[in-house]
Amino acid sequence: MFFVIGSIVTISSHALSTLGLCCGAQFLDYPRRWCVSFHLPLDFMPTNSTPKAPSSFSRKGFSFDRVFKYFFASNAGLTIVILLLIIGFLLKEGLGFFPGYQRELQIYRITGMEYIDISRKNLTSHEQLTSVMNRAYFAEINGLADRELQRSTESSAMVSHIDDFTASARDQYFETIEDANPAPALIESAKQKYAALLPLAMKELPLTPHLSAAERQQIIDAMLARPIDNEDTPELVNQLASEYATVRAKFATPLEPMRASIDEFEALGADLSARVSEMSSKVQVIKAELNTADIIERDRKTLLAAADSAKTPEERARLMAEAQTAIGTVPDTATPLRELLSGNEAGQEMHRSMHEKISAWSNNVNVALTQPEAQRLYQVVGKTLPVFLNELSATPQALAAWDAEEPVKLGTAIFSFLTGKDWITGGEWQDFYGILPLFIGSLMIAVVALILAVPAGIGAAIYTNQFASEREQKIIKPVIEFIQAIPSVVLGFIGIFVLGNALRELSISSSLSWFPGFPMEERLNIFTAGCLLALMSIPTIFSLAEDAINNVPGVYSEASEALGASKLQTTFRVVVPAAFSGILAAILLGFGRVIGETMVVLLVAGNRIKIPDFSAGIGAFFQPAHTMTGIIAQELGEVPLGSVHYRALFVVGILLFTIVLGINALAHRFTRNMKH
Amino acid sequence: MKTMQNIILAAVLTAVGSAQTISLKGSDTLGAKLIPQMAEKYKAEGHADVKFEIAAEGSSTAFPALANGTAQIGMSSRQIKEEETTECKTKGITLQEHIVCYDMLSVIVNKNSPVANLTKAQVAKIFTGQVKDWAEIGGTPGPISIYTRNTSSGTYKDWQKLAMDGRDYPASSLKMAGNEQIAQEVAKNKGGIGYVGLAYSKTRGVKAISIDGIAPVADNKKTYAYSRECFLYVPENASAAVNSFIEFVHSDSAQKVVDSTGFINAK
Amino acid sequence: MISEENLIRKKGKEGKRGKVVDRLVRSAFAGVTYAIVLVALLLFGKIIKDGAPTLFTSEAPFINVSFLLDKNETLHVFDDEQGVRYKLPASEYSEFIKKNGEDSIYNHSSYSYSGGGIVGPIVGTLLLTIGSIMIALFFGVSAAIYLSEYAKESPFIHAVRLAILNLAGVPSIVFGLFGFSVFVLAVPVITADPSSRSLLTIPLFFGDYVMSFQGWNSSLMAGCATLACMILPVIITASEESLKAVPQGFRDASLALGATRWQTIRRCVLPYSMPGILTSSLLAITRVAGETAPIMFTAAVAAKDDLPWEGADGPLDVLSSQVQALPYHIYTLAARIPNSEYTQQAQYGSVFVFILLVAILSISSMVMRAKMRAKLKW
Repeated sequence: MFFVIGSIVTISSHALSTLGLCCGAQFLDYPRRWCVSFHLPLDFMPTNSTPKAPSSFSRKGFSFDRVFKYFFASNAGLTIVILLLIIGFLLKEGLGFFPGYQRELQIYRITGMEYIDISRKNLTSHEQLTSVMNRAYFAEINGLADRELQRSTESSAMVSHIDDFTASARDQYFETIEDANPAPALIESAKQKYAALLPLAMKELPLTPHLSAAERQQIIDAMLARPIDNEDTPELVNQLASEYATVRAKFATPLEPMRASIDEFEALGADLSARVSEMSSKVQVIKAELNTADIIERDRKTLLAAADSAKTPEERARLMAEAQTAIGTVPDTATPLRELLSGNEAGQEMHRSMHEKISAWSNNVNVALTQPEAQRLYQVVGKTLPVFLNELSATPQALAAWDAEEPVKLGTAIFSFLTGKDWITGGEWQDFYGILPLFIGSLMIAVVALILAVPAGIGAAIYTNQFASEREQKIIKPVIEFIQAIPSVVLGFIGIFVLGNALRELSISSSLSWFPGFPMEERLNIFTAGCLLALMSIPTIFSLAEDAINNVPGVYSEASEALGASKLQTTFRVVVPAAFSGILAAILLGFGRVIGETMVVLLVAGNRIKIPDFSAGIGAFFQPAHTMTGIIAQELGEVPLGSVHYRALFVVGILLFTIVLGINALAHRFTRNMKH
Repeated sequence: MKTMQNIILAAVLTAVGSAQTISLKGSDTLGAKLIPQMAEKYKAEGHADVKFEIAAEGSSTAFPALANGTAQIGMSSRQIKEEETTECKTKGITLQEHIVCYDMLSVIVNKNSPVANLTKAQVAKIFTGQVKDWAEIGGTPGPISIYTRNTSSGTYKDWQKLAMDGRDYPASSLKMAGNEQIAQEVAKNKGGIGYVGLAYSKTRGVKAISIDGIAPVADNKKTYAYSRECFLYVPENASAAVNSFIEFVHSDSAQKVVDSTGFINAK
Repeated sequence: MISEENLIRKKGKEGKRGKVVDRLVRSAFAGVTYAIVLVALLLFGKIIKDGAPTLFTSEAPFINVSFLLDKNETLHVFDDEQGVRYKLPASEYSEFIKKNGEDSIYNHSSYSYSGGGIVGPIVGTLLLTIGSIMIALFFGVSAAIYLSEYAKESPFIHAVRLAILNLAGVPSIVFGLFGFSVFVLAVPVITADPSSRSLLTIPLFFGDYVMSFQGWNSSLMAGCATLACMILPVIITASEESLKAVPQGFRDASLALGATRWQTIRRCVLPYSMPGILTSSLLAITRVAGETAPIMFTAAVAAKDDLPWEGADGPLDVLSSQVQALPYHIYTLAARIPNSEYTQQAQYGSVFVFILLVAILSISSMVMRAKMRAKLKW
């Protein structure tokens, strides 16, 4: 409906303004225009060309001048209309999100899913704890067996490298053999290719610091001697692998008690796990029924509306008939809920007993670990276990206090959208829309990009404007501004292959392992995306800052130099401070550009919808993240029109728009100060 | 002026595509390789006047497009959901389902990983985030990096049903745009694991592992744990050109294309 | 600020230290600047290095014309019985099979979107760009004329300037959302057969036709309209600058001779500012041509067999068809299909052609600007 109004406004603003309003306004200005429309020359010297006889139209005093003026004015107003349309459509689609989300949260509560999730949270923490303990156990064993592990890994790496290198020849051989009539020429050429590739493969073998020279040579010889149709690994490699296995078993024996206690801990969660899955499967059935009922109701309404506007009676009859069949019954949620809650006492008891057993278990655990990684993980267990026990003891109360009848307020929906830590969509259980991980992802990438781009861009602007010679300026400015011409998709995929790999190699090198966050887990992460975005925003910051510095009146620097200041002093103490508001505007606009970039972050940021783990300090910047722009681009294609998910994406768009609007307003205020 | 322009522009608008253009929308698994090649073969076999348009943003994009009439055939790597059928019904469109091929979702790990086989339970634990480190299941110690598709993918939803018992992906999973990106990332990351359609499991640097001892090869199509069908959805009152293409899809020569692109034929 | 001591330039040791600091600071800044320039040049260099082999061949006419003019097809790579490797696009591949039979193919592998040429994306990008620039020029220049010639300080003007500023900063994906919800789903269409999801239908006076607010669907028109909205602020600002650059004396003289405002603009201002307007719109083209997000949901398809005018019933059919586009093609190649040496060739070739197009446009705009500046002597 809003769009109807908008379009009518647009069309009429043109039609009316160009015809109606000018007709009305001209009466106010009648006399002057009359004279002008007659082209009366202001001096009365005869001219060579006789003035054209005024057309009958303008003789009536109606000049096209006004028409054009209002036509242009309405075109100028078009920009306002477009902006209003953007705001209007975003709001129209987006504001419908909150009631829809509220309804979903309501269903979440009514069907008892929220109740189950209280228990499920404990289950998840339990699983995490088990996982960390397992990792500590394996870290201990692998740390002790490190040498054998390295030897085995390195020898297999050699074999894989050679296999990879000669893959094309061997694939060709095997494919040809499988044919009904294998062509001997092809077999021959495959063998020749293989023979040619083998020595080449040997040239770039990975380093094997844990193998002796003799062993390395032994593997090389074995691989050289291997014919094309043989796929076995050399004997030494197998031997090393079995050595590793033996040593592992050896070190596992003294750790038997630890193994046993971990298994015991895991088993303590089995009851809870069984109960949670049983409840879940029952509840999912109810939820599916509720959803179907909603859809059927919506269908019925659509069909009735279509029947009302049907053109022919047969059409109407058909649609009415279909609407009749679409009457569904509202499924009964109260009974299954009562069933669910009947197990409430048992559930609370289960939690209490789990709490007791785990406390008892933790008092009996006694492990001595030698490896630093294992010790670190064990400390993590030590810290998390009390927290887990606290949650367990608080759960029975939470279970008792849970009320299915409590209504979900609209404010809750809004609050959980703005501060929710999960964005889970398309899930089988429940969709959650929380913008926090996306917002933090966008923000962190923008911060990285600005930290890199601002000094570079402003430094380059100062240099180009103040210190560079004419010739240098002619080279520098076009090159930097041409960076803008590179499409963001190109930067994205060059970024993956060039920058991502380079940074990953850098981070794996052992000389830099002290740096928090190195070695990087993923090559697609916040830092890589930030670097690329810095490159993209440097031209924006550069040209705006350069303009600002250029606009500082020349008298300032002339006066400063007249007082005897050196060039450096003039630049940094007079010109730059004077251009400060313009430079600030440049930074803000660069920030706006960076927050709004889509394709680069979609390809390069790693797309993990989770708030980065800030306990790693700076290392948090080397983790992957997802962004607000990326999620819209990734998910808009999927969503059924009008669904809650669709509207959620529009709300994300609204948020983006508001942020950029705010930044622009700030920057505008600074540029206004700039123009003295 | 603008009004006149609008009127002129809008005056003779036709619906998308002339009679001989077939517009396909939907799954990236099918639309990246298989369908373009089938379309080319179809044209080479005497139907050179038929034109194809293919947009492959994910299986979930097929159904809204079919409902709105912006596509004539929907490609989907998962079965249609109840609400999507109803959505189409409310717009007056009933859909027919055609199986175009079978696909095996193979679990891929980095080529240098010592893991060659996993049980279904282990796969479920990994992809739900319960198991976080390779050492817990016998690989080289290090954190497990999970690469998945994004939510518009049919592959994403299929995997949830087949391998994860309906549970949600962990927040630590990385959502990639297509099968190819998953393969690329796993190839580059020693601790990476992901799932791709069979056609992508032969990328350089990755290897497909067997599940419960059964390898993802064509012979095991009945016994492999994560097999699924890929579908084409067509409205009931489709044009003759569309129906003729669907007939071709069921024919032997099209199924040969299926074989050559790494899928399993539907025979 | 400037202290007493600095009023007199120092010589001697302190002067020398000042000189050293001076040099250090200058070189630091120069270093930063040239580092950026270096990174940019490396980037261009990489694109040229990887893309040029696809585009240029060693024999005359030195350009791989088939890459530029052929339609996009799947690439088939195989050996024949003698082990000779063939790389053929799909159409030639099927001819080869017809001639030699299916059994003569060994070691066959195929790569989507990597064979043939990229004429589809090139044409699509050109159509989108030209269409959107034309729309934007029409509305933008008119708005700029109003702002520079007619405007007096008023709330209306203030609002317009604010709107332009804000439109300039809207992220491209929000334009994609806007274009999708407005141009694809909601703008009015005159048709005899409105779709059932139309928002509103207004019956018209002739025949069966109604004006139905159902959108233009994903089409060239929707894409052009979205992109036009995107570059409108840029065009308005640039046109206003060129209009303001015309000396006020021209207008004064014309008005003094009795011409109306519009005549002044039409004959004394516009012709002289047109060169500036056109050159800056050429620069806007480079921005528009590289955008992917707005066209992803409004106009672009990954594969299309025909150029838009083939098989169309008239110019309006062309406008309502979907198109391929270069940036979207690059995105498909990079993220959607298995990577290999053959796809890399196609990728870098497309990127290189794109950068070349943009470079040609920018350079011609700069040349034009220089020539126009020389002609206009004021």
